[in-house]
Amino acid sequence: MDQTLLAADYKGPGGKLLRIRLTEDQGQIRKVKITGDFFLIPEESLPKLEKMLEDTPIREKELRLLVDRFFRGTEAQALGITPNDLVNAILAAKEEAL
Amino acid sequence: MTETWRVVDVEYPDDPFMNLAVEEAIPRAVGEGASPPTIRFWHNTNTIVLGCFQSAALEVNFDECRQIGTDVVRRFTGGGAVYHDAGNLNYAISLKKGHALVPGNDLQEVFRRLSQGGVQGLRDLGLNAEFQPINDIAVDGKKVSGAAGSIKWGTVFHHGCILVTSDLSILGRVLNVPKAKLADRHVPSVQKRVTTIRDELHRNISTKEVRDSIVQGIETSYNVRLEKGTLTGREMSLAKELYQWKYNRDSWNLEGRSESGEVGPIRTH
Repeated sequence: MDQTLLAADYKGPGGKLLRIRLTEDQGQIRKVKITGDFFLIPEESLPKLEKMLEDTPIREKELRLLVDRFFRGTEAQALGITPNDLVNAILAAKEEAL
Repeated sequence: MTETWRVVDVEYPDDPFMNLAVEEAIPRAVGEGASPPTIRFWHNTNTIVLGCFQSAALEVNFDECRQIGTDVVRRFTGGGAVYHDAGNLNYAISLKKGHALVPGNDLQEVFRRLSQGGVQGLRDLGLNAEFQPINDIAVDGKKVSGAAGSIKWGTVFHHGCILVTSDLSILGRVLNVPKAKLADRHVPSVQKRVTTIRDELHRNISTKEVRDSIVQGIETSYNVRLEKGTLTGREMSLAKELYQWKYNRDSWNLEGRSESGEVGPIRTH
């Protein structure tokens, strides 16, 4: 077991704050907690996104596919953060650990 | 025909948990069709109100809260943490989903449209107030009010807090302001980009005077008539249930998990 805790606070231009706390294991997300002062409706969809992200490689392409699939599948509406911000915030957590 | 909205001044200044339970009960009842379009005004004393997606552990300075006696409660809407004292006026608007004022499903449009009554109320007091996206009202570029909202339970819901005479120095003590939050702002401290109505008007003013002006602002902005009312039995029973199962529990306020799927979003941490 070689799990690492990663963290990043990320804010896109003019946007809201995303605070990512995740456990990485062999380049993949084991568990992730997304918090911050953004808006997302329905609010109940956030745990779904966190669940979907589990076991995803922390790489831009895979993360982007997954985040896009989340928004298409749930019809969730974000305000103050974009799908891109979510991807960048997770990547930033990885970067900060390096 | 001019539409009539209900205005309720139901508040529990010493029980922020009950205040937030009522805050959820009203939009639920409006969505059920059991209550008319409603605006509520209320106060908390010495309370941090967290957005539903925020981490209490990251945002709150619990040592300072213990010293100052500050309560921490979570609301059901997103957005950022705010500090409420008696000099802060809270308002909430609940309209049935599809209401002509905000017919779509666009949260940014909800903030823009439903901030307008407040903006008008502040302008009528002589302030150069304007809506500042995403969710603020600013006076000469400085924030005096922040809003949050949602579209759920068949309701369009918008609420906000207005800094009338609040003590802005407490905010920076009880909340941890992360560096990333300040990264794209020109002024370094929360205090400098936030102001109060009293400071902008250069006179003492009560939250009651601001409330009355906003009532007028809402009537003119939306061409509605506000009629004073009380909570219904349905709303009170919803509020009591929400208080018991959600807002009076650390699992919701500190961890963001509600105990009963019946009454709120389930967040597993």
